[in-house]
Order: sequence, then structure tokens, then C-alpha cells
Amino acid sequence: MNDRERREFEAGLAAEVDVWLRGEPTRRSFIKRFGQMTGMLAVSGPLLGSISRSALAQAAAQLADPTTPLGQAQAAALKASTEGPADGSAYRAVQAAKKLQGVTLNMTYEAGLQALDPRHFSGPMWEQLTGNKSNVVELSHPDQYSKPVAEHIAGSGAYDILDIEPAWTPSLADGGVIAPLDDYIAQYMNKADFDDYHPLFKALPTYKGKIWGFFDDGDMFALYYRKDVFADPKLKDAYGKKFGKPLEVPKTWEDYAQVAQFITDQMAPDLYGAGHFRKAGSPGNQFDFLQQFRANRGEFFDGDMKAQLASPAGIKTLENMIAANKASIPGNNELDAVSLWAAFLQGKVAMIYSWPPTGRMAANYSQSDTAINFIPRSSIAGKVGYAVVPGNPEHATGYSKALAADSANPEAAYLFMQWATSPPVSLARTMLPYALRDPYRLSHYKSELYGALWPDAKEYLVNLCNSANVGLLDMIMPGWQDYALSLDRMCSSVWAGADPKAALETAAAEWDQTTERLGVDSQKAFYAEYRKLPGSSADHTVEALGMAVKL
Amino acid sequence: MMSDASPALPSTRPRSRLRASFSEWSDRHFRWLLVVPAVLLILSLSIYPLAFSLWVSFVNYDFQIPGHAFVGLKNFAMVISDPVARRSLILTVLLSAADVVIELGLGLALALAMVRRFPGRGLVMSILIVPLFISPVIVGQAWTLLLQRPFGPTNYLLGQLLGHEVTIGWLTEAPWLYIALIIADVWQWTPFMFVILLAGLTAIPPNLYEAAELDGVGGWQAFRLITLPQIAPIVSLAAIFRLLDAVRLFDTIFIMTGGGPGTRTYTSSYYLYTVGFTQFHLSQATAGAWIFLILISVLVGLLVKRLVKAEPA
Repeated sequence: MNDRERREFEAGLAAEVDVWLRGEPTRRSFIKRFGQMTGMLAVSGPLLGSISRSALAQAAAQLADPTTPLGQAQAAALKASTEGPADGSAYRAVQAAKKLQGVTLNMTYEAGLQALDPRHFSGPMWEQLTGNKSNVVELSHPDQYSKPVAEHIAGSGAYDILDIEPAWTPSLADGGVIAPLDDYIAQYMNKADFDDYHPLFKALPTYKGKIWGFFDDGDMFALYYRKDVFADPKLKDAYGKKFGKPLEVPKTWEDYAQVAQFITDQMAPDLYGAGHFRKAGSPGNQFDFLQQFRANRGEFFDGDMKAQLASPAGIKTLENMIAANKASIPGNNELDAVSLWAAFLQGKVAMIYSWPPTGRMAANYSQSDTAINFIPRSSIAGKVGYAVVPGNPEHATGYSKALAADSANPEAAYLFMQWATSPPVSLARTMLPYALRDPYRLSHYKSELYGALWPDAKEYLVNLCNSANVGLLDMIMPGWQDYALSLDRMCSSVWAGADPKAALETAAAEWDQTTERLGVDSQKAFYAEYRKLPGSSADHTVEALGMAVKL
Repeated sequence: MMSDASPALPSTRPRSRLRASFSEWSDRHFRWLLVVPAVLLILSLSIYPLAFSLWVSFVNYDFQIPGHAFVGLKNFAMVISDPVARRSLILTVLLSAADVVIELGLGLALALAMVRRFPGRGLVMSILIVPLFISPVIVGQAWTLLLQRPFGPTNYLLGQLLGHEVTIGWLTEAPWLYIALIIADVWQWTPFMFVILLAGLTAIPPNLYEAAELDGVGGWQAFRLITLPQIAPIVSLAAIFRLLDAVRLFDTIFIMTGGGPGTRTYTSSYYLYTVGFTQFHLSQATAGAWIFLILISVLVGLLVKRLVKAEPA
């Protein structure tokens, strides 16, 4: 080292010593601390991960009082899983899954109430039975489609089990996002369980001759009405005098609007004839239009896949819906599904049609769990009757469980799906007060335990089964989101004053654009497949095909 | 002077030389080393996604159509030819302009009222700025609860005031739904203007007003000739900041109107969200986002240029 280098070294050393004495950070101390922080970060990742995993770990299954119907159904599910019958799907799934211990299944669920079942009941019970853990990934409804697709493109294998709309099955199957179950079914399942599905739902996961999931949520629309209002002698008398026919629960959409208007005229502002969830995106508009349009014998597409919305059936449908809106509670067009439930439960509305939880809430069964405390207690328990929606009711959305094609544990994932949707376990799941899973198996509709949940529960189950007999399916084909969005926009613009014919033409043009975007020939083939399903049109329902289930 | 008993100096062996030269290099470039992590972070979280989105906008990236074929400008053309996209852009401009103008006026009025000290001023100011800390989603939900029929109390209260029944559909009928959206936005963001303008007002030297008072200048003239010119740069700054935020209006619309009725309350952000995450046409949504970004950049460029000009040399 020459003199210059020595002087520089000493000056640097002195400077470092000075700043150290002053307590200021030096380059050395900075690098040291930076290294320490980096090390801490590296360590804290796994540490925090293990702490959070421990905190979020499944607790023991929340079981109801064993003397209650729910408790008995849960005990029966447990017994079927552990003791058999040996050829039962639940038992066989558990026995097979025990050999795959240590697997953690990542399963998607809609965020909120839907996810409570796997968090509080089915997930912990599966772990207790098999030693296999479950990790519930809560997603918004649109993300239940987009995230699995994105993860599939990335090849991440992030999910094992997907909760999907049946309408998404063709897209996800063709896109390679989900895997067929046929081989596993042949190996593990009791085929008799298929015959336990209501015929409307049985074929939903089947596409191009393969089975792509297990149907898991019977989202049948049904009509819920105030029995006391329809039994009111004064009202019956007045209605008879005015219309020359008895006051009855409506069976046609014209009658529905007429009865609703009559009740509103007679009883408002204490009670209004009807209410609907018509807010944009709520998503009542598209489901209501789809069911009424087909009840009016409307066809979605012609032979060239041109949209047929702007037809006499379309006009008639919108006119009926407008008439019903006028007869409804003020703010009808601003309501979403939850607001409508609130209005009905508070006794402000005589008739609504909605998803099956309506019946459970009206009887105050759902509200027995704190998870549903955002829904008001029912003031009309015991006064609610159940009927089939005029014409044909919509099976609005529903859910299937599908196996993610990129799952690292496909067999374990399949076994959970088989177990969770098996007759005894699915019954217990649909009976959970906070569950939004609705009956879909014949054994659910016939269940004495479910029928004992509240005084009128048996009638409720019979009505859901009858609704499924004449029920209509959403469009099970690619582009469903686009087609549905166009309908929602069309309806809400008509409620705001747009000309119905012009709105129908706009929606039809949007449908044609969607069809062209996805390929006319390809969509034509999908539509042809869809048309084969029971419930694709009013003259092709389960009942029309001679497969109706009578309880 | 250094004594002979000083500690032994580092040897001049090649390894030490290497260390010394590294030390010298690190001394010279240490500042750059410090910014490397930040640069890497920006590149990975900002530049890469931006470049990826550019690629997405030129290919098919639709969750319903397999493959990523190059489609040229088709995605951009689809956005430009979509009447909903054009209407949403116009609504974005109108709503943003209305929001910013009203918030600026109210914010200035509040700032002028609060610039002088009075008992309880601190408490009033604290209450005034509370909306700023509330999530826009909660703001949207709160206003929905107030306005939505049949549960919201607004129509009832208006009926009591006016002496007759009020049946306004605040969330479904034009022009009321636009007014409702503006009210919600103004309620939340006027405090932002207020805080910035109050800071500007308190920074005006009091001697200017004292001199003006000696010259017999009245209150209005003082405001016009002293206050306004003095706070003009900060007014521009506040307006630009707020405008840049207002054009992204999404949350309250998502909650209050769901974009409806029809597509009447689609703003550009809501349109892009719908195309991308309801219909899953990601490439079209990305192309739309790029168009929107370019338009916003032009606007920002113009406003910043104006702001820089407004600043004294």
C-alpha cells in the first residue's frame, strides 16, 4: 500500500469510526442490517405460513344436537361413512381415502355462506374420517370460473376440486380445465347413487358422453306465497266479484300479474301483491326472463343460430314482467335477492319466487344459525305456502363439483367429491341451516329427517321435486355469461323505460355477436347437445319426457 | 504523523488488491446498488405486467376460446366499435367533471369557512374529513341503504319536507341515478379538496390582506385579487389529483346501480371490469384498458403542462 492508499484507507476508517461513534448508520452497518432483515424475511415466510396454517386449520366438525333432525342426519352420514353399507359410495370413498393419508385438498367455493359447509362440517368430518385435510379457497362467483382457467393456463395445480356452474361444464371440459370422472366412478362408486339424482339434474355433468363432475345444488326457483292472504274471505269474495273466478295461487303469468295487482290494490301499503329481484346484476332478470320466455314457447335460436329473442314470445314475456313490476312493492326494480327476502320475511309481500333458501328462511330455520343473522327473522313463519312457479320454473345456476385436471391428488379429490355428494352426506349438508346447498336427490326430497325440520318442510320438499319435474335449465353452453348479461341489460333498461321491442332487438344483436365470436358452427353443436337435456325447453321437461318423480 | 508502532497495514497481495478494488468499486456504485432492489421490484410488479398486458391486447386471450392466436388490432377495434364502450367513456367524462367541479366548489367554501379559528373548529374538521377514511364500497352501500326503495328513508324524509309523497327511483331512474352517484362521490371526496385547499389558504401571508385592508379593499375583492391567485396552483393540483382518481370511478357504481339500468351507469372502469371479469374477454378488456390509459395520459399531460405553466418561474 502506498502513502496515498494508506491515507485514503485511514480517512475512510476514521469516517466510519466517527459515524459509528455518533450512532449513525454506516455502509457496513447498513449492509449488516440489510442482511439481517433479508434473513429474517426468509425465515418469517415459512414461520408465518405455519402459524397461519395452524390458526386456519380445520377445527372439529360442528355437529348439531343429536336429538334434532339435523343431528340425526349428521350421525347417519357418519355411520354410513364408517360402518357402511359396504357398497355405499360414502363408505367406499372413506375406505379408499384412508390409504392416501396426508393429502391436503384445495377446493374452491363461493365466498361467504357457501364456504361454511366445507369449513365447519364436511371438511373437518372428512379429515376426521380419512386423515386428509381440506383447504377451502373462497372466490367470488365470476372468479369461480376465471381463476381455475387462469391457474390451468399457468399449470399451477393450485386447485383439486372446483365448484362450478353446470353451464360452465362444456367450456371447462373442452379447455382441459376439468377431468372426466368415468374411470374413478367405475372403480369406486355405487352406480345406484346416480339413480338417486332427480332426472333434471342427473345429466347435467355429462358432456360428450363423459361425466365431468357430480351435481351438488338443486337451485330450483319456486313460488312462495302467503297462505293467509289467499285464504282471506273478504279478498276471495272481492276477487270473485271482480274477475268472476276464485282467488287462487296463479298458474299462468297473466294470472300472476292480475292477482298481484289485485292484492296490491286491496292491501297496499301494508302488503303488496308481489316482489322481484330486478336490480341490474342481482341476477334475477335473466332467470325470470328465461323461464317466462320458454313458458311462452320462445326459442333461443333458429336453425342458423340466429337469436330469436325479438319474437312475439319475447314481447309477451316483457309485457308480463312489466305488468308484474307495476303490481309489486315500491322499489321492486331496485331490489336484489337479499332485499327481496327481507321484504317477504317482514310480511310486506304476498308472493315471491326465488331460490330454495326462501322456504327455510320463511320458516325461521336458517336464522337458527348466527351465520345468517343478516337476514331478518321471519314474521310470516307458518303462513307460507309453496307452489310451482307459473308455467315452468328456472333451475337458476346450481353447482357441480368437478375435478381439476391439474390436481396433484386427483384420486383423493375424486374420493372427497364422491363422499360429499353421496346420499347420506349430501342430505346432512343440504340440511345445514346456514347452507345454500339445496335438495337435489330423490332421497333428499323423501327424507323424513329433512321433512321434520319445520312443520311444513315435507310440503316444501314435495314442491321442490314438483318444480324440478317441470323445471327449465340455464343455457348449458359456452358464452352463457355473455348471453345472460345481455338479458340482464335488456330487462333493466326496459324497467327504466326503454321500448321492449327495441331492447329485445339490441339483446338479440348482442347474442348474435357472442355466437359469432365463439363460432357459429361450434355454438350450433353445443346448442344441439343442450337441447337434448331434459329441461331445455317447456316441451322437453322431465315431466314431458315421462320421467317425472311423484312423491 | 503516523508512528512506526501503528498497526500492520494490509498486505499488498493480489487477493487484498482484489478486495480493495471491489471496495473502491462498491464505494463508487453503492448508491446504485441501493436502488437495485427497488428497481427489480418495479420491473417485476409494474413493467412486466404492463408488457404482458400489451401482448395480451394483440392476441386472443379469451377464457372461452382456446389458444392465444395473434389477432393484430382486432381487440382494439372491438372496443372502439362497441357503443357501450363509447357511452361509458362519455359518462366517465361527464361524471368526473361534475364530481370535481362540485367538490372543488364545496371544498373551497368549507376551507374558507374553516380558515379562521373558532371554538370547536378541530372537532368540526375531524368530522368533515371522516368520509375520506371510508372505503368507497362502504360509501356505496351506505348510500344504497339511504336511497334504495322501499327501505331507504330518503323519499320519506323528502315527502315530509315537501308535504307530498315522493317516489323517486334514485338507483334506477334517470336523471336521479346520476345525481345519486354524484352525491355519493361528492360526500366522500369533498373533504379531500377541503384539506388541500385549507393548506393552501393558511399558507397565504397575512400581510397581503393587511395591506389590502389599508388600501380599502373589500372582502370580495380581496378574495378575487389575493386569495384566488395565491391558491390557484394548489387548486390546479387538487383538481388534477381528484380528476385522476374520479375517472376511475367503479366501486360506488358496482354497489349502487350494478351498471344499470341497462348500461346507463357504465363508466369506463365498469365497462372494462364487465368485459374482463364477467364476460372473460380478457384481451378485449386489456385493449380497452390501453386505450383508456392513453386517453388519460393525454389528459394528464395537458393538465400537468398547465400546472407547470401556472407555477411562477
